[in-house]
Parts: sequence; structure tokens; C-alpha cells
Amino acid sequence: MMHDIAVLGGGPAGMAAATEAARAGARTVLLEESPRPGGQVYRSPAFDGPRDADRRAGDALRAALAESGAEVVCGHRVWGLGGGPLVAEGAAPFTLSALGAEISARALILATGTHERIIPFPGWTLPGVLGLAAATILLKAQGVLPGRRVVVAGVGPLLYAVAAKILAAGGQVVALVDGATNADWARALPTLAARPDVLARGLAWRARIAAAGVPVLMAARVTEALGDSVLSAVRVDGRLMPADALCIGHGLVPATEASRTYRAAHVHEPGLGGWVPVLDADRRTTVRLLYAAGDGSGVRGAAAAPASGRLAARAALRDLGFAPGGRDPAGAFARAAAAGAAMAGMMALRPALVAAIPPDTVVCRCEGISRAQIEAAADAGAGTMNQLKHFCRLGMGPCQGRMCGDAAAALLAARQGMPIAAVGFHTGRIPLRPVPMDAILGDFDYADIPVPAPAPL
Amino acid sequence: MLLRIAGLCRPAPVAITVFGHVVLAYPGESLAASLIAAGITRFGEGISPRLAFCHMGVCQQCLVRVDGRLVQACLTPVAAGQVVA
Amino acid sequence: MTYDCAIVGAGVMGCSTALFLARAGMRVVLLDRGEICREASGVNAGTLTMQMTRAALVPYALRAHEMWLRMPEWCDGRGVLATACPGLSVAFTPQEAAMLEERAAARRAAGAPIEMISGAAAQAIEPGLADGVLLAGHCPIDGFCSAYLTGLAFRGALLNAGVTLLENTPVRGVAGRFVLDTPAGPIGATRLVLAGGVWLQDMAAWLGVSLPIKVLVNQLIVTERLAPVMRTVLGVASGLLSLKQYANGTVLIGGGWQGIGDRLRGGLAVKPESFLGNIRLAAHTVPALRDARVVRSWLGLEAETADALPVIGPVPGVADAWTIGAVHSGYTSGPYMGKILAQAILGQTPELPLFPMERL
Repeated sequence: MMHDIAVLGGGPAGMAAATEAARAGARTVLLEESPRPGGQVYRSPAFDGPRDADRRAGDALRAALAESGAEVVCGHRVWGLGGGPLVAEGAAPFTLSALGAEISARALILATGTHERIIPFPGWTLPGVLGLAAATILLKAQGVLPGRRVVVAGVGPLLYAVAAKILAAGGQVVALVDGATNADWARALPTLAARPDVLARGLAWRARIAAAGVPVLMAARVTEALGDSVLSAVRVDGRLMPADALCIGHGLVPATEASRTYRAAHVHEPGLGGWVPVLDADRRTTVRLLYAAGDGSGVRGAAAAPASGRLAARAALRDLGFAPGGRDPAGAFARAAAAGAAMAGMMALRPALVAAIPPDTVVCRCEGISRAQIEAAADAGAGTMNQLKHFCRLGMGPCQGRMCGDAAAALLAARQGMPIAAVGFHTGRIPLRPVPMDAILGDFDYADIPVPAPAPL
Repeated sequence: MLLRIAGLCRPAPVAITVFGHVVLAYPGESLAASLIAAGITRFGEGISPRLAFCHMGVCQQCLVRVDGRLVQACLTPVAAGQVVA
Repeated sequence: MTYDCAIVGAGVMGCSTALFLARAGMRVVLLDRGEICREASGVNAGTLTMQMTRAALVPYALRAHEMWLRMPEWCDGRGVLATACPGLSVAFTPQEAAMLEERAAARRAAGAPIEMISGAAAQAIEPGLADGVLLAGHCPIDGFCSAYLTGLAFRGALLNAGVTLLENTPVRGVAGRFVLDTPAGPIGATRLVLAGGVWLQDMAAWLGVSLPIKVLVNQLIVTERLAPVMRTVLGVASGLLSLKQYANGTVLIGGGWQGIGDRLRGGLAVKPESFLGNIRLAAHTVPALRDARVVRSWLGLEAETADALPVIGPVPGVADAWTIGAVHSGYTSGPYMGKILAQAILGQTPELPLFPMERL
């Protein structure tokens, strides 16, 4: 069946987009890899427990989606993208290949969220080191503490959320290591004041951290993670702290592999998290009938995501001849995005952290490529991320460059004396994620393989 | 229960086998969470050690073999009798 | 200054031509609209097999095979991890067996040491091979390399030889004999080599010459690192499969399945049905691949002339202008083709005959 609108990603932006589209009468389908919609921020918890603000917000979005009439396809990893501009004749309906589902749609809204930026440091590949967003998932969705003695480090509000959650769950936080200064936070305060709920929650986290006597080190950074085979200590600017877990994150990177695969134009905006698709005010990409919403189109936070999803859906509805109902979300988006922008600014790539990566520290975990190897490739003539891939295999492994791309681009650009935007990004290609062959091979007879005609002899 | 947060409504635990050891886990957990709760943070050897790093299916560092098939531990729900190698 | 030779297109053909001309004393400028060896020369399957080479090109491919294996010796220490290994081309059906015999005979006549062996004998050479093979062509001197290293390998040697390498410098047209119009300003040269792959058609038009080039959009797929599953370079009788496992464990799946793309937009997208067909053929041939995860797919554009033979030689009617390209499985023969074109440009008799475009 041909859908009018497909939505890729079931976080707050995707849920709101699908809800808006289905309510207006468009045949709508939402595709999500997890077993239930929610995204990383409103991920549906494995076990029932106390209902916090995030849980209530996520449940409300899930309930609205369920009532909207949108088809929700969960638990399917989308690996293939086709159609749209990727056809010989120039334009066609979009096709999405998931494990166990094939979807066609006239319009496609990308709401693919972000992944975490972690700027490499010595020891970051030791077991026991994990992302801040990863810690949030472990704590909130899985009900598991990342360790018994935890150092929480990096930048952004997630630091305080994770530390407070660990304490609330009965864990020990050895130290909170904030890369920002008090002045950075003071600058963000006026925009936060426009969101009393967010401000109040942030203050509650800080109160809990203070009450527990956790040392909060400002303008500090983790310089090394130590341990024989697993983490045993963390060095922070010269201070050695015993720890069995280090939760660390340096911001969020929009997941743009789908818009890159569709060859939409992108622009590098550090304040939005890095490379983002070029969008008009209604969230149209440069590819006809392809839209982007939520943090995957530029980091503005969970509060702004639903309005951004609705904007994209309304543009798609109008472009397909449907009449959107209800209030225009443009104002709501602008207000929420302003508060989100202050946090996104704090979480933008910090060049000083990149500059501090020692030469022998691995940057590309999948292929084991160090800073020194990246710089050697740059010195041998690699001037773009695609060429860097050829010269040293960085980004050729199974994470497809997601974990290292940001830091590697900054290193390459610095070595070449160019702006980060000039080194570009890896060309988008399917599969969007590594895909097991046996999951897509299916049953087949040799005679059924449509082997093309041989080349001339 | 040292790392599992108290006060959540968990179902009855099930037994899984991890690198030859029997481990109790709760249906609903991801395999990665169950392994961490069981004190298993290092899953094997690759170019860098295998471990759960991003917990959202991106980093590909937590690959394990479950009942013979290669899967990401962070995206794989626990089920009774699983054999993790 | 005026160069002795301007070469447009920094793929394997342009790079090797530039290298051998510069080493013979010419002042050479090598231009590319993108980066060195980032089109077909950097993204092809790196297959060094006689069993997918056109029969007429086998003598060239044999000499190029030797060059690839010894690349560090003639390329200032850099190479492309070229590895010699046995090659197998297998037939699962009687029709394929007949095709295999016919094709192997033609290639054998051209000098490729291909012998026909049984399925059991093929499995002894390649334990990863599936059951059900009726007949196999066995060439003991096939091999493979990592094509993505080609740019890195040539770059240093070109600079050492004094070649002026201008990447990201698109040539917009050519006036007189010869002034190249580029964003970096006009560039003068007394000789011109067009080495633009599928863009040869547009380049020939600069000189008022018609050279129709068909564009093949070849698909490639790679797995993540696996424990060893195979040790040969493996194909099927029709040539629509190439398989090899690199030292790092990744398995590259190719064979020339077609994706979406054209001269203007480049290699745009893999067709999901071609993706599926290609991996089914691969998994049918090496069953252990069923267990693998696919990490990436991509496309490379291959040029083909009306008779599917190369255009290597002078441009008719334009003195001192030359073309090189449209070599089927061109990467395999590439460095040798550049070497013999350089010989011709230098006024020597090439070791083997060129393929002048005047026949077309």
C-alpha cells in the first residue's frame, strides 16, 4: 500500500509529526527501531516505576499517536532507502526497506534524532566508560546503575540529570566534571528563565547533587581513564579518582544519514550540533517532499521537538493537498527552540577538547585509527572526510563513522588549516546501519536470482 | 541486585548463559543492561575491547553472539535460556 | 609557464601516465575536478583477475598484475596491498558451465593460465565454496588489492616526480593547442591527455570530437570484519560476482550489478533489488557469508565504448592530443595502460599496441 506520509523515527518529533499527519486524514506510517515509540529521551521504560516529568510527556505523545490513526511500525530497523530523487527518472515515491517491512510513501519526514558526541581521550575505549546519553538509557529505561562509583563528566544539562538520577537510585557519584564555566551557565540562564519547568528541574538536580556532597568541578575535563582490562580510575586535570564507571558526553550530533543518502543539501552549524540539512521555515529539505524535524535536523531539545515535527507534517500535508487542522505550531516551536538553543550552544563541539587529544589516542574505535594516523593521512594529502576514509580507513567500520566523524573532521580541518565545513562529510549510503545478511536474504532458489547479462567477452 | 535500581516492578528473573556462566536477568532488560548488572562489562576482543558504550544501537561496540547469531547486546531483549558467546 | 603535458583526470590511468611521463623528464600537470583517485579508481573492487578481463585485454592485464604486485618498487614505496591468490570462476548450472568453457578458452588463448577443474577440486582450493559447483575455471595467478589506497599510493610518487597535481580543479574547456580553462586560471600545455573515465565523452567534445561513452553504474557491498571464510578471489561464470576477503577480515561483494546514477549526478544510489540479488549470489557461492553483516554499499562509474574496447591513443585530427580510458575492468590493467601510453607520447614504440579511437 502507498502511504501519503512516512515518518522515520519515533521520538517526540516523529510521534508528533505522525499524529499531526494522520489527524488531517493522510495515510501515515511511523517507523521506529525500538519496540515502542518514545525515542531516546522518552524511551519507554522496561519496568514500571515512579512517573517523572519525562515519563508523563512521553506517555502523552504516545497516547496521542495511538489515537491519531497513524500506523505505527516498531521493532524494525530501516536499512534501505530508495525512491525520492534516487531514481533514473528523477523523482518517485520514497521507499523504505526495514527488516520485515517494506514501506512506500509520497512524502517522507525524517525524525532520526541524534547520537552522542564523545571527544576521545586516553582510555576512553576501556569497559566502564560509557556515554552520558547511554547512562540515561541505562538508568531510566533499564533500571540499572552504570557502576558503583561513578564519575560523571562532559558538557550540558545531561551531566546534572545523570548525576542526580544516580544519586536518587542509591548510587555514588565520585565527582561531577563540567567542562563549562559558571559564566557559561550564567549566560544560559535568561533563556532558561523562559522555561520555568526546565529551570526548576535543573535546580532540583543541582540541589540533590549538593546535598549528597558530590564535588562539582567546573571548567574541568577528564584527561585519562585508567584500568587494566576495565576502568578502575579517572584522572581529572591531574587528580586521580577511583571509579568503576565514567559517564561522559560532549554534546549531541544530528543523525543525518538519511538526508545525506537522499542527497539533500547540508550546512555545518556548530550551534545546531554540526551538519544539518538545509531547511526552509516549514522544515522542507532541498529534496522535494522530504522534510526533517526534531534534534536530527538541528539540536533544539526535546521540548521543541514535537512542534518541529508538527511543522514538518503540516508542510507535507499542504504539499500533498491536505488541509492541516489545529493551531499553527510555529510560535510554540520558536519559544521552545530559543531555550533549546542556549543548551545546544553549551553542547557544541569544543575545539579545545579536540586539540587536547594525544597523538596515540584512538579516535576511530572500529578501525583503531589514532589522531597521529589521521594527521599523517592529512599530511599525505587527504583534504576531505571521504578522502580521509580512503587514506586511513577512518569511518569504514561498523559504526559507519558516527562515533568518530565529528572529532576526526575537527582534527583533519585543524591540520589542514581549514574550517570544519570545508572537509565535508561521508557520503550517505545504504545500509543505514549494519544489517545481517541472513535477515534480508530470505528464502530463494539460485534460479530466481536475477543475474544480469554478462559483460562482453 | 547491586546495580539494579530498587523499587521497580520487575517480573520473575530468568536464567541465561553468558560466556559459560549462568546469569539471572529480567525479561524486559536489554542484554547489555543484564550483563552490566551481572558485573560483565567486557564482552570480548575486537580491535578495541567489546563493551556497551552508547546503549542506543549506534556504536556497534557491544556485538555478541546470542544462540549463534551476531547481535547488538544493547538492542537485544533478554529471553530465558539465551546462550551468549 | 607552459607544461609539456596536461593530463585531465587523476584516476589510475591519468596518474600512471603522469608518473611515467614525468620520470622521462616532461613537465606534467595533472588536474582533477575532485580528488585523486576518488572516482572509479578508488572505489572499484580491486579485483586482479584474468577471469573477468576481456580476452583482448588479457596480455595487458597480465603485465599490469605484475605491476600491482610490485607497486612499492616503482611507486616510491607505496602500494595498494596487492595480494596474489588463486582465482576461481564457478558454474552452478549446465548453461553456466558451457559459458565458462567458452570464456575460459578465449582467455586461455590470449595467455591467461586458466584450467577447468571439477567442483570438488575447486572446493579443495577454496574450502569456503558452496556445494553444487559443476565446473570451475581456476587461474593460479589472480589476486586482489585495496583500491581505496590508490590515490594515497600514487600521490607521493607523483609529487616526488615533479608532477603538478591540481585536485579540486575542474577543467571547463580547452582552447587552441592547448590552453585549459580552470578556476585556477588558464593552464598552457603543448600536449593534452584526456583521462576522464565516463567523462571522456564531455572532454572529447572540448576538442570537437565525438566519443560516445556508455556509463555503467557498478555496485559494491562490503561486510564488517569476519573470521576467515574464504581465501581466493571468486566469481561466477557470467562474471556477475566478485568476492574476496581482505587481510582485515572484510569481504567485498561486487560483480557489476547496476545502480542508479549517470554522468551528471554520479553514482547516486544502490537499487534495493540489485543489493539483494548481489548478496544472494554471494551467499549462495560462499554460504558462511549468511552470518555476516553488511556495513556499506557504494557505486563506481565505469566507461564503455561502442565496441567495449579501450580508447588509448591519439585523438584523430588533433595533433598532440591523446585519450586513455574506457578499459573494461580498467583498474586491473590501469598502470600498464598508462605506461604504454606514456611510451607513445614520448615517441617510443609501445610494448603492446594501443587502442586508437579512430576505429570507432
